[in-house]
Amino acid sequence: MNTIISYLDNMFRNLPKTQEMEKLKEEILANMEDKYHELLSDGKKENEAIGIVISEFGNIDELIEEFEVEQQHVGDEKSLPFMSEEEVNDYLRMNKRSAKMIGLGVMLCILAPALLIITNQFIFGFDESFGGVAGLVPLFLFIAVAVVLFIYAGMEMEKYKYIEYGVEIPREIRSMLQQKNEDYHPTFVKFLIVGVVLILLAPLTLIVISTLLGADAGSIGVFVLLSMVALAVYIFVYFGMVRDGYRKLLRIGEYSKKEKEENRVIDAASSIIWPLAVVIFLISGFIYEAWAINWLIFPITALLSAMFYGAYKLLKTNGR
Amino acid sequence: MISSDVIRGYNDTIILYLLLDHPSYGYEISKKIKEMSDEKYIIKETTLYSAFNRLQKNGYVESFYQEQSHGKRRTYYRITESGVNYYYEKCQEWEVTKEVINQFIKEVNFK
Repeated sequence: MNTIISYLDNMFRNLPKTQEMEKLKEEILANMEDKYHELLSDGKKENEAIGIVISEFGNIDELIEEFEVEQQHVGDEKSLPFMSEEEVNDYLRMNKRSAKMIGLGVMLCILAPALLIITNQFIFGFDESFGGVAGLVPLFLFIAVAVVLFIYAGMEMEKYKYIEYGVEIPREIRSMLQQKNEDYHPTFVKFLIVGVVLILLAPLTLIVISTLLGADAGSIGVFVLLSMVALAVYIFVYFGMVRDGYRKLLRIGEYSKKEKEENRVIDAASSIIWPLAVVIFLISGFIYEAWAINWLIFPITALLSAMFYGAYKLLKTNGR
Repeated sequence: MISSDVIRGYNDTIILYLLLDHPSYGYEISKKIKEMSDEKYIIKETTLYSAFNRLQKNGYVESFYQEQSHGKRRTYYRITESGVNYYYEKCQEWEVTKEVINQFIKEVNFK
């Protein structure tokens, strides 16, 4: 089948990449595919089937004449990489998968200190520095898993990097994508609101739990708070990335330089803030023995960055 | 095998005939041509789609999308009223052509 596709690609290479031509090529490919599969099921050998299909393609000049197209030569114009329907679907699937992985990774990063706080409180108590050290084991385990997820997702998506620079997509698939993107918008906004509400409610839960159960339950409150924030951040990451997948393909909201810049700002900010929080936590713990109070850095960091991220996303959505 | 030069003027007629009963799409049409001609005429993809384009431009057929059972979307072609009229004109033309050409054809013993 690949032979047929590349044969057809070659035949159409010098034709202008108009929607009409893409559509024509898609149709002809579909026919050739059908013919090929039927020949195979008639018992023809693969090579034989390919030979017959290609020999029955005809003469490209006939189409050029009929469609009155002006022939173009490769290199005359900067042509964008072409994406077939399969490639588009593969990309969307991979994008969803890596959105899940990255979302999960971020969630683990936020849950790690939450778990640490709980283990400290209930297993070892705050005062013993041993508790602080033992509690670090699951923390690092979670972060290690998260890092693996980030790297894996990053590697998976690396081969789709070219999409950001623009791609050529057949018209039919483009309109299908547009439909999907429109259908997705209400879902995206709904979950964005859910995420923002979760984050706004999170400190409230902490206050309620502390008030109802006394100051000792503070760590439970923080655990709940961080879990809510983690869930909210997962929602932002997952639904945001799925949405961005469509938008990247369609080049809506222009994957412009300005926006890329802004995204880089967010990425850079969070990649500094979180490790910094961990460093401050460890230093204050080991050097100043401040295990009793220093965990507060995590809920504060989580809240601040989640609020920033949520507000930023919401503003960007409304701004378009 | 018939050479495509000989049949050129009648590709449109053949396609219109196959659309008379119900709309159809590229592969189905080319398959039917092959079957009905006893595999003596196999229409090329480029010939087929040039004809579709020409017929559509002249308003003899209309195209529309239809989902297929396995989820693929295909372009189907439907004959229009003027397409039907054009088809019958071509049939009459062929009758005359046949008579004329036959005047110049000798019975040949191929053996």
